Amino acid sequence: MNSIDVISMGLRNMWRRKTRTILTVLGVIIGTSSIVIMLSLGIAMNENFKKEVESMGSLNIIEVSRNYGMREGGSTKEVKLDDKAIAKIGAIEGVEAVTPLEFTYWKFGAGKYVGHVSVIGIDTKVMDKFNFEIEEGRLLDESDTNAVVFGSYIPEMFYNPKSSYYYDSSSSVKLISDKLIMTMNMDYGERRSRQSSSNTEKLPEYKVKGVGILKQSAGETDYNAYMNIKYLKKIQEESNRARSRNSRGWDYGESSSDSYNNAMVKVKDINNVKEVQEKIKDMGFNAFSLTDILESMQKTSASIQAILGGIGAVSLLVAALGITNTMIMSIYERTREIGVMKVLGAELGSIRRLFLFEAGLIGFMGGILGIGFSLAVSLILNKAGLSLGNFFGYMGEGSKVSVIPLWLMLASVAFATLIGLVSGYYPARRAMKLSALEAIKTE
Amino acid sequence: MIGGDIIESIITIKDVSKIYRVGTEKVVALECINLEIPKGEICCILGTSGSGKSTLLNLMAGLERPTTGSIVIKGKNIEKMSENGLARFRQKNVGFIFQSYNLLPSLTALENVSLPLVFRGVSKKIRNQRAKKLLEQVGLGTRMNHKPNQMSGGQQQRVGIARAFVANPDIIFADEPTGNLDSKTTVEIMNLITNLARENNQTLIIVTHDVNIAKYADRIVYIFDGNIKKIEKTVKVEGEVI
Repeated sequence: MNSIDVISMGLRNMWRRKTRTILTVLGVIIGTSSIVIMLSLGIAMNENFKKEVESMGSLNIIEVSRNYGMREGGSTKEVKLDDKAIAKIGAIEGVEAVTPLEFTYWKFGAGKYVGHVSVIGIDTKVMDKFNFEIEEGRLLDESDTNAVVFGSYIPEMFYNPKSSYYYDSSSSVKLISDKLIMTMNMDYGERRSRQSSSNTEKLPEYKVKGVGILKQSAGETDYNAYMNIKYLKKIQEESNRARSRNSRGWDYGESSSDSYNNAMVKVKDINNVKEVQEKIKDMGFNAFSLTDILESMQKTSASIQAILGGIGAVSLLVAALGITNTMIMSIYERTREIGVMKVLGAELGSIRRLFLFEAGLIGFMGGILGIGFSLAVSLILNKAGLSLGNFFGYMGEGSKVSVIPLWLMLASVAFATLIGLVSGYYPARRAMKLSALEAIKTE
Repeated sequence: MIGGDIIESIITIKDVSKIYRVGTEKVVALECINLEIPKGEICCILGTSGSGKSTLLNLMAGLERPTTGSIVIKGKNIEKMSENGLARFRQKNVGFIFQSYNLLPSLTALENVSLPLVFRGVSKKIRNQRAKKLLEQVGLGTRMNHKPNQMSGGQQQRVGIARAFVANPDIIFADEPTGNLDSKTTVEIMNLITNLARENNQTLIIVTHDVNIAKYADRIVYIFDGNIKKIEKTVKVEGEVI
């Protein structure tokens, strides 16, 4: 019996019992779509987690900090984060770039405007490797010393101290073209009355130039300015020395020029982040990446997904029983028919194939239609879900309640078909084993 | 046994018995059967109900296995065949005519007739040609697309006959072929079957309790209580109308 005949005969049998076929398929549709929709909620949740974490920064960046002798386990040995250590981290397999970081805080002057800006010193050589995106101007490069790149929100932090409104026309600050002054003197540019210590040595003021403004990233880079770390450390030390003299012996930190408190590591492949992070920790530093957060979030969503998927699986299981039941009923009805077919020379395999085909087709149709139904439900959920607000939590802008990726569609159709075949296996076997003689016996 | 004629026998049954177990009781359906059926013969197995005649037919068709003994058809021991082997054997060598027609209700006459060819894997074009030819031969050329429930008993049995002959098998088994038909139709059907069988030199084995049917056969095997009581050649009178 060739395949075309099996198919046409199977289709004809199913057509003959339209109502029952449709009801059974309906069961599979409900089962498939409940699994798919439940999983799509979990997938959407996962994607939203990921988006959210990504908005906090890059997933393949590890933040390294000096260990202040407080490493768990009680070891008190402090490891220096110096150029040598930086080079060593840079040599770890999978590391694309590494830069030391210096976090500093300065007063900036730009024409009649001033602003308090946190400036981060970085290795200008590798700035372009750290996912900085430029909106205006350019990034820093090796030749830059007193050049500054600003985060996107920095211009809004400038204000005119002479104006009666505190935040006044910040948009008129031109950080790239204006002449910039940078100083540790927080009173710089303020009205005279606010300057308290006019008799002390003046803290040095440095002329710097703005070369670029970063694209808005919705992360911390929006609020920082970036400079060459070597230059930044130099002017910081100079300023600190002047301040120390003012405050008579109060030490504002004596950092040697090649020792850092922090560093940032970019890993080539996101999958290696964990590994590199461990290696850095083994060197004696603290290492942190957003992958840590993502991982714990994903663990949470995985268990939520498992629960949701489980709920969906129950209905598919019921649908599977429905298929088995339908097929067994069908065999009872067709007992004589099967018997006649056997007597006329139908091979066992042909009979089995016929029944498996019918069961598989019920599963397949249920799967296809179930996907269609799920897509519709998903669309409605996404439309209604957004207006419902943060029902499932973690709903930023543009996030979805339900996401059905292509692999899920294909997998669920394949799974529904498989369920059909598995459910049909027992009935098919039963049909195959049916005694032809019993079947054709006249009453 | 065959009255001296040396004819190639297509079915050879040797020392065949069939015992059913009903609970703890043994029911002997066939005690010890020895029978040879030559090729091209129309053989009638005649017996009352419960005589074991249907069991004998089932054994010959490979639908049941004998308790003891051997059944050789076309040189092959069918009692030793696997179930799939038997299915293929029936596909190629055997046609069936049932008392209750056993047509598939969802199929048209044409599709019912071509069913044995479907199992053989014959292409649709060829099997439709063949089925049409057979339907015309049984006089149903105009009812090819009728479903069984749109036909009378006699017409249904004609479809059954066409189905039995469609694959041109060497052996045709007919189990009470006219049991559900009136006497007029019985005559038509019996003539049809025997003529078709003779035309192609096919072996026809008819199982019946009806003595009138037995007259169409070349030979009558009388079965009684699981044994062959006697075997008798029918005397054909020229021009006799039964």
